Amino acid sequence: MRSLLVTVSLLTSSAAMAQASTPQEALPTPTASEPREAVEPSATAPQAPASPTPPRANAPTVPEGSPSIDERLTADEHRVEALEEQNTETKNDLSALKKLRISGYVQGRYQYQQDLDDSGAGGYSRFGVRRGRLKATYTTEWSQYMLQIDAVPAGVTLKDAEATLFVPGTKQQLSVTLGQMKWPFGYEGPQSSSDREFPERSRVVRNMLPAERDRGAKVNGRYKFLRLAVGLFDGNGTDSGTTQDNDKEKDFVAHLGFDLKWIAGGVSGWYGHDMGRLPTDTFRHAYERSRIGADLQAYFDVVPLGGTSLKGEFIAGRTYGAANNATHLDVPAHGWYLLLVQNIGLNDAVAVRYDTFDPHNGQTDLAAGEVPGADNAVDTVGFVVQHHFGENLKVSATYEIPMTHAVAQALDPHDNLFTLQMQARF
Amino acid sequence: MKKTLLSSFVAFGLAVLPLSAQAGTVTVKGSDTMVILVQRWAEAFMKKNPATKIQVTGGGSGTGLAALQNGTTDIAMSSREIKEAEEEKLRARYNTPPTGLPVAKDGVTFYVNESNKVDALTVEQLKDIYLGDTTSWKAVGGADAPIVLYSRENSSGTYVFVKDTVLGGDDFAASAQTLPGTAAVVNAVSKEKNGIGYGGAAYAKGIKELKVKKGNDAFAPTAENVKSGKYPLSRDLFFYLRNKPAGEAKAFIDFALSAEGQAIVTQVGYFPVK
Repeated sequence: MRSLLVTVSLLTSSAAMAQASTPQEALPTPTASEPREAVEPSATAPQAPASPTPPRANAPTVPEGSPSIDERLTADEHRVEALEEQNTETKNDLSALKKLRISGYVQGRYQYQQDLDDSGAGGYSRFGVRRGRLKATYTTEWSQYMLQIDAVPAGVTLKDAEATLFVPGTKQQLSVTLGQMKWPFGYEGPQSSSDREFPERSRVVRNMLPAERDRGAKVNGRYKFLRLAVGLFDGNGTDSGTTQDNDKEKDFVAHLGFDLKWIAGGVSGWYGHDMGRLPTDTFRHAYERSRIGADLQAYFDVVPLGGTSLKGEFIAGRTYGAANNATHLDVPAHGWYLLLVQNIGLNDAVAVRYDTFDPHNGQTDLAAGEVPGADNAVDTVGFVVQHHFGENLKVSATYEIPMTHAVAQALDPHDNLFTLQMQARF
Repeated sequence: MKKTLLSSFVAFGLAVLPLSAQAGTVTVKGSDTMVILVQRWAEAFMKKNPATKIQVTGGGSGTGLAALQNGTTDIAMSSREIKEAEEEKLRARYNTPPTGLPVAKDGVTFYVNESNKVDALTVEQLKDIYLGDTTSWKAVGGADAPIVLYSRENSSGTYVFVKDTVLGGDDFAASAQTLPGTAAVVNAVSKEKNGIGYGGAAYAKGIKELKVKKGNDAFAPTAENVKSGKYPLSRDLFFYLRNKPAGEAKAFIDFALSAEGQAIVTQVGYFPVK
């Protein structure tokens, strides 16, 4: 009991001290013109001393000269106003930051490829960083800035650098973009590598759209379920080894798509030229570089385990494969893929993909001894299982079996590939 | 070696494919406008189905739809239609088109202080007010006093609705004070005699609801006017799911759309879809 009394006494005295030492006294008293509706009850405060009930002996006493309740409420009002001003200022700062979005992802890998043949040639077992992307996007009502770099052991390269104008009055349905960007062609090319189930794009897309990007200008438009993207590009792509176009030829690339929620797709076209010289040419010559494509994606909800999607794409074209500067001038080629993905619950999925690429239409498959010819068609069947650990981490294991078309005594190379990938994104 | 590789692949597959399901609990997240309604549905549903727990939290339509993408909610409440980008993300992640179900109707209501003598405004007048072009109540038939604007944060579906439907996609005036919930808007307008705010009709308590003028007529956000389409600022309130409703989530949605569930809609102050 004694300790309780001591505690009460201490609390009482400290409360009185706190009142006496608050800086409220320094605050100005309100002027008559200031709105006071919110503190009307305080008008009763000055009457308190006139109360007929005498203060109890141990009740806290208001020291002489300390601020009245009215004054304290006024001071609190000023404090709230100051906080509101600070809050407004902070909100203004944050509203600018909200327009900026920093995102990115890293794909770390372990890969094992079989020896190519019984001599032990080829094959590998290695760790690597396939992609290390950092992307900044700043979006306003009328414009968007986007810069994406890729930092990997081979170096840092520019992937995207786009400046976009959203045409006023179109609610961002129509836009014009200039810079370095993805070609508006097909489905898998423009799709983000972080969303894909398989570690790499299908063989036909890798050949027809190497690095998926180029420098140029693009117009994007949407009307109800229709999507149109039309662009004019240098045409050589960002993997061509040059940072500037070396000719006056420009390539026209377009994709007209539709999106009906459960089914989406489109058709693509590409027409342009590539300046080059075949062994039979004396001088450089503009060779046709063209592609046509069709893509379709269907999403189902029939299996009780989770969503199912079926995606396919066909591309045929002439002059392709700028990767490592190895352009196949004036060569007609085609390929396609079919991908089936099955989600299992919220965090898991399995997928199987069959893709095929014929690098030289109409050319008979060849063989050099036991080795298939360089231009033989290749079919690849791949399986992947993936698991999401929360919203930021995805782990996938992929097994791909390429089957090179072979004739006579040639053998399909042992080039099956296992890829274990961990992708972290933010 | 091929066998080793294949067996490693299969082993990995088996290791990472645990089916996870939190039986007995359905989480619902999103629109603040819908929270009071869905909480009432949840209470009534759980009384009938004590084995099922329905967890309802707000945060705004955008927050709910983001939670749906991240797998942290079963159902997203949204007072606006899902955006194309949100839908694409859901499809890419879950390989199924999301399902959207209108579960109630709402008349987005503009509130003014009870002392304000303005009773009705046209959509154009509301637009001019919220764009900051009209700054005095006098210009719209009220007192000679500055208009104090209250708005919602941009994660709110109501914010998006007003921005798209009333402002034609333009930005709110910089002077508009953003508040974290409809209740906060109502509270602010009830205290500020020159204030104007907006929100769901179910919250319109302690303030005056503005009618919306169309030609010579003015329409209040009543059930009749919202259903008939005469009230121009009506909208659907949605449930969004990653795929088709199933299991306990479906049972809850079926209840919300039943005669009993739709009666609760009316009790709360919104309008039934059936």
